[in-house]
Amino acid sequence: MWSPATPVSILLGLVASLAIAAPAPAPVAKLPTDVIIVKGAWSSASDSTMPLPEAGTVTPESYDNRYFGLSLPLPDGWVQKYAGPPPSDSGYYVLAQLSPTETSPGASRGTVLISAQDLFFTPIRASSPLELVNYTRAHLRTDYQIEKPPADVMVGGRKFVRFEYLSPAAGLHWWILATQIRCHVVEFVFTSANTRVLEMLERDLDSMKGSQSDDDAPVCIKDYANTTNVVERVDPLFTEPRYNPVPVRIIIDREGKVKHIHFLSAFPTQAQAITEAVSQWRFKPYVRNGRPMEVETGILFGRGQRAGL
Amino acid sequence: MTLKTGRARGAEGRLLPAWWLAFALASSTGFAQTDPGVRGGAINGQTGATPTSPLPLNSVTSNTPAGVQEFFQDGLDRFQEVEAVSGSAHNGLGPRFNLDSCAGCHAQPTIGGSSLPTNPQFTVISRHVVNGSTNTIPSFITANGPTREARFPFVFNSNGTVNTSVPNGGVEDLFTVGGRPDAGVCALQQPGFAAAQQANNIIFRIPTPLFGAGLLENLDDSTLLSNHANQVGNGLGISGTFNHNGNDGTIARFGWKAQNKSLAIFAGEAYNVEMGITNELFPQERPLPQEDNSGGLPNSCLNLGGGGYPEDATNFAVQNPSGDTFAQNAQIPSDTMQFSMFMRLLAPPIPSTTSPGGATAVQSGQNLFGQIGCGICHIPTLGMTQASNMTGSLGGAPVNAYSDLEIHHMGTALNDNVSQGNAGGDQFRTAPLWGLGQRVFFLHDGRTSNLLVAIQAHASNGSEATQVEQNFALLTPTQQQQVLDFLRSL
Repeated sequence: MWSPATPVSILLGLVASLAIAAPAPAPVAKLPTDVIIVKGAWSSASDSTMPLPEAGTVTPESYDNRYFGLSLPLPDGWVQKYAGPPPSDSGYYVLAQLSPTETSPGASRGTVLISAQDLFFTPIRASSPLELVNYTRAHLRTDYQIEKPPADVMVGGRKFVRFEYLSPAAGLHWWILATQIRCHVVEFVFTSANTRVLEMLERDLDSMKGSQSDDDAPVCIKDYANTTNVVERVDPLFTEPRYNPVPVRIIIDREGKVKHIHFLSAFPTQAQAITEAVSQWRFKPYVRNGRPMEVETGILFGRGQRAGL
Repeated sequence: MTLKTGRARGAEGRLLPAWWLAFALASSTGFAQTDPGVRGGAINGQTGATPTSPLPLNSVTSNTPAGVQEFFQDGLDRFQEVEAVSGSAHNGLGPRFNLDSCAGCHAQPTIGGSSLPTNPQFTVISRHVVNGSTNTIPSFITANGPTREARFPFVFNSNGTVNTSVPNGGVEDLFTVGGRPDAGVCALQQPGFAAAQQANNIIFRIPTPLFGAGLLENLDDSTLLSNHANQVGNGLGISGTFNHNGNDGTIARFGWKAQNKSLAIFAGEAYNVEMGITNELFPQERPLPQEDNSGGLPNSCLNLGGGGYPEDATNFAVQNPSGDTFAQNAQIPSDTMQFSMFMRLLAPPIPSTTSPGGATAVQSGQNLFGQIGCGICHIPTLGMTQASNMTGSLGGAPVNAYSDLEIHHMGTALNDNVSQGNAGGDQFRTAPLWGLGQRVFFLHDGRTSNLLVAIQAHASNGSEATQVEQNFALLTPTQQQQVLDFLRSL
């Protein structure tokens, strides 16, 4: 099923490899500490213009994420001390980890974890925030105390699933508020021993701004890349088996061509092989109400855990 | 920080409620609690274990099937052998090595463990293991520091700068056999450790404990995958993945980065890399990572034992025909296979329910450990082993290792820029915590003997464990002490 690369796709492949491969660093006299240079499978993208789920930013005032179209105001003095790990090979993102600085006025103790689970790649049967939060509940240690079982709520005009539990031993409360954005379950996890801190954090969530209009975002469709929709397909040529799952998110334009490829987790040679191949795929254009739409979907290459395991 | 009178305003001019001010004084920096230190009492929590006699699994003690006990004893004896270059009963050491016996490095709290509190590498010259005219003790080997191996994450350019485009990461053995009376005319330079330290292009590894290794080896992949699925939706920032054996794609599980598939490979690699003794799994002498560029090892440093290769091999004849049949049988396999048998048959440590701190502290600490999320990665019980073809205690046995055997991103604080298999520089296997209570040094490089420092190192840029470490920091001093007591009870 391999077909010779066309000139256009060779160019795409070159552009992609330039975007993926970092420029060779100059020789150094002293290796910097605190820099991860040698990486295993990591995230990368075919271009640097399309927003990525993991590319949110933390300012003193807010957490902003262009991909998810949200801006969460932060309490005074709350900062991100440490950035999270890269996206996982099962589609899990740590978007931000926030806590008060020691010297912030009126500091109180607690943390905020903003995470996202890509529903294209969840290795369990969950296709909505409620199903994912119910899975969390079902796998919680039995010595936690459920304070509020998973239920729908409206926060800031947006539909969330709320779930609250307590660690009796630690005296810590977890408030989980999960919402669905672009086929991801975005979770806001508030942790504190003091429920007034949690109430404050939820008030900030209430004033979270969304900036995505439905017309702008592509339609997200799970498993869109099936035999019905893929009109032309080239298989990637891997040079060596690595046995890792390689989750890949793509955006297909209105004509059915792949315009953006995002690797959640891939070794460089895997990303190159997949980019070269997938750039040549052609899809049936997706039409809704007579209008061709852009589509966002996920493809799992490599060896991965499928739902139901 | 100062308490303000009246209503305070935040940076955007928002009014802060009065109760908010009450917490102005509540924040604390650092930890007030103390690591109780190495737990006393029975070694590995096992009655009858001594510093030189670790206990095997129960079915080995009861010699079921017949002969398994003799094989364990023979493996334990060989594990303690002091190797020489030539002219002895145990030849093949070198030309490069980190120490001259397995038990020298794997000794705390008994043979098969990790690093002793006093480092035998520090005294190799005074003990005539290494010639002081041809070797110096590297500065990172100290009298009371951890037993270590060293690696250079990147290759050096010829002008001494570090080439960060070319990863290295292979073991740079500390010592050479040059100048030993049994080493002939072999003369080699030690690696450039001082320059590597100047350039910050050096990392260390300490020995991994081996107790319970057979149980880890006999876990089915599906058990590990099922644990991984249970971690989905943990809400703590944890993901994790597996390292895979390149030959057959199955889950690898031994070593700091879970890079080794089986105990046999683990033993064979260590025998050749750490002691320079070639074997049936690794039959060629190993030059230093960059020594290949200059022609490899000189002939004057090859076959120093005089017996040809591999230096450790299956014995076709029983050397010592006295004693019972099984003890004689155990002499036939190579050292490497007997090392792996020894590791496989070692009993796991037994935790204490009362020490340190008392039963209430240990139990409370155990609850806290689980409820703040440590147990997501450090799973108390992995599951049950698959049926065993070797001995009963290896089959259908619970594996209370406190690890998921996955590799996790551990951030910049623990990154060592060495990739092994699918594990990148910042990815490490969840260290099994069974036996933690009687260990001296922690983390992959033994940088600390203080559990609090080890816990703090879990939080850094890029780590999956930051949230859980912050949960630990949200505990009261009493609760934190209970967690430490619990950890030292393991």
